[in-house]
Amino acid sequence: MKQWFIDLPGPMVAKVIVAVVVALVALVALFFIYDWIGNNLLDTGGTIG
Amino acid sequence: MDDSAAASEPNAGTRATGAVMRAIRIVGWTAIVSGLLILGFVAQQLFVTTWFAEQQQDALAEEAQEHFATTEVAEVAYVRPASQTTTEDGTVVDSPNGDGSQVSTPEGSEPRTLLVEEAAPEGEAFAVVRVPSIERLEEGWTVVEGVGVRDLKNGAGHMPTTPLPGLPGNSVISGHRTTYGAPFHEFDTLEVGDIIEVDTAIGTHTYGVREVQIVRPTDVWVTDPREGSWLTLTTCHPKFSSRQRLIVFAELVDGPNYEAIYA
Repeated sequence: MKQWFIDLPGPMVAKVIVAVVVALVALVALFFIYDWIGNNLLDTGGTIG
Repeated sequence: MDDSAAASEPNAGTRATGAVMRAIRIVGWTAIVSGLLILGFVAQQLFVTTWFAEQQQDALAEEAQEHFATTEVAEVAYVRPASQTTTEDGTVVDSPNGDGSQVSTPEGSEPRTLLVEEAAPEGEAFAVVRVPSIERLEEGWTVVEGVGVRDLKNGAGHMPTTPLPGLPGNSVISGHRTTYGAPFHEFDTLEVGDIIEVDTAIGTHTYGVREVQIVRPTDVWVTDPREGSWLTLTTCHPKFSSRQRLIVFAELVDGPNYEAIYA
């Protein structure tokens, strides 16, 4: 992780911005994965058929 | 040769220790990340979805009140399809010789007038369901038209192919059991005779629980038409699983259309 950050191109500000964007995208993706698992395995809302 | 072998022994030991430490570190980090992912999942399912649903409910409650105030309620003559007969358990089925014609109320009896409203567009709030014997449903939970994934995230959802609550037939409403506010969380505690109230633009329809059943998710017979006016509430079962469905069958016992349907 640390090495990935160090290897990012550009100045420190650009590295931080890229890291934050990547973290946000990962969080959103994780949220959608959680939501999909919840809606399909834990609680579909009780629909029939 | 012996000297070099002796010299290399400490290096081999160090390398072995390093490999073990590296393996322990990998296992440790994997466990930490897995734990955080699972904790995140639990938090998202229990708290984030409920927070989301409660925000939606605040807005939908206002939308439902607006719907009540602006929706036109019409009076229509109530007729019952002649092609349908009723089985012992109250289910309405097509009779073999049914021609689809309708019959009026029996001769000599007062004409029956039914109050009706138009179905709301999909996703729109149009009713509030209350269960006085369940604390979280004492205040009521807003019902939207439709049972799509998005509809059910916002509120309980009315199956559009079934009649609206308070009308003759079998009105089906689905809701979450453990996530998105879990409006139907305690439905396993309902007993025969418990009261369920549904507010619509027509008025408040009161239902009495007749039966609580556990069925498979594919048992679409629970949505079949029924004689009289029924409310069928469906949710997942057991809690934290969508393996089965908990079904609450309730029959109209009071309300603006009770006399017209049961007189």
